[in-house]
Amino acid sequence: MSRFLFVVPPLTGHVNPTASVGGELLARGHEVAWVGHPGTLAPLLPDDAVVFPAIDDLLEADIRTKRERWLALRGMAVVKFFWEEFLIPLGHAMVPGVADAVREFAPDVVVADQQALAGPLVAGHAGLPWVTSASTSAELINPLRTMPKVDAWVRDLLHGFAGGDIRFSDRLVLVYSSAALVAGEFGEEVAFVGPALTHRVERVEFPWHRLTGGRRVLVSLGTLNGPAGERFLNQVLEAVADLDVQVIMVAEPRPCPPNVLMLPSVPQLALMPHLDAVITHGGHNTVCEALAHGLPLVVAPIRDDQPTVAAQVVAAGAGVRLTYSRARAADVRSALESVLDEPEYAAAAELVRESFLAAGGATAAADRLEKVVAG
Amino acid sequence: MDEVLRQVAEMITEVVGPDFLLGVEITRDTTFSDDLGLESIEFVALADKLNAHYGVDLVAFLADMDIDEIMAMSVGRLVDHITARV
Repeated sequence: MSRFLFVVPPLTGHVNPTASVGGELLARGHEVAWVGHPGTLAPLLPDDAVVFPAIDDLLEADIRTKRERWLALRGMAVVKFFWEEFLIPLGHAMVPGVADAVREFAPDVVVADQQALAGPLVAGHAGLPWVTSASTSAELINPLRTMPKVDAWVRDLLHGFAGGDIRFSDRLVLVYSSAALVAGEFGEEVAFVGPALTHRVERVEFPWHRLTGGRRVLVSLGTLNGPAGERFLNQVLEAVADLDVQVIMVAEPRPCPPNVLMLPSVPQLALMPHLDAVITHGGHNTVCEALAHGLPLVVAPIRDDQPTVAAQVVAAGAGVRLTYSRARAADVRSALESVLDEPEYAAAAELVRESFLAAGGATAAADRLEKVVAG
Repeated sequence: MDEVLRQVAEMITEVVGPDFLLGVEITRDTTFSDDLGLESIEFVALADKLNAHYGVDLVAFLADMDIDEIMAMSVGRLVDHITARV
């Protein structure tokens, strides 16, 4: 039996796939631990999960405050802030905790989320093999490839931090998607395992008795960002008011039409089998969870990897893309009616679902991780 | 008003949709990031228009810039680039 250490940032979407893969490894009798922010990890992992602290509550609160500022930025300013104010400082902050965890837990392999730069750095110093958990597939093809000077700037930052480009492991990169969504040629180290959804822990309650018959749509827009977020959400509410669908919307309470069930959080994975379509900003997890259930999508990307993820969905034929900052209620309604009423969207989503099934999920990820230990 | 500036402003308006530019006059100083908040898909649409109209490659133009230059990219700078090319 082997020992696997997952290094993760304090972000739910980045912890979730590791919860699944870690759960599969535990079920096979391996020893597994996580290092990150204990408060973020606790609700997402089993009660008896081994967790080492690398981020305290103060730093986590600081990261959340920074994130608020980050959400107000646009264009290339997002990229600059992301690297200079978030990724590199977070990497530095996590190094001592990750080093302690490596010393105490003595893993055979370090599995680092692609936004946990302390993982590769500490593993490198300890002479341990490290692999990448790619929580989005959007960066496998370098999004900065058309801007060589910006790309060089990122590589300089990484060199300053770790002495090399540690964005992806050359041993194994776990990608929770499939070739049905991600086009391109990749090395053998890149493993498209599909979304890892088994062994996942969802502790949020849901009022199941409030689901009505008929068609249901989930609206999941992530953290609402400022006036643009409020504007889009209001357009969605107006769009669905006179549609014959039940809408489950993840947002803070506010006045809404009677066919909208507004909740601050939902057990998203458990809800998926009860849905007919999903409206989302294009977070990688939400999109792939929906497609794993054969659900067509309306995607209104905001920033980061979301435009790339939205383009993947459109290219696969599994959804319609909207412009987040400018879409009107009429646009939202027509997009939603298209994906609900035109069967080709659901058929395309079903094809992606089949490709995910074939990819193997957490089982395939665990197989690949075991091979890394075997050498 | 400079003819190229007028045409570029018109293309931006077409890409973004006139409703969203109410109260925003596109001048040489208007920035793509902060002022217009051009989304990636709109950026691609604008690049297509520029290419069709002037044979100017917007991606190649940006490829030469560092991150601060891209952040500060203004309509005026694009207009100068086009004017120098055509």
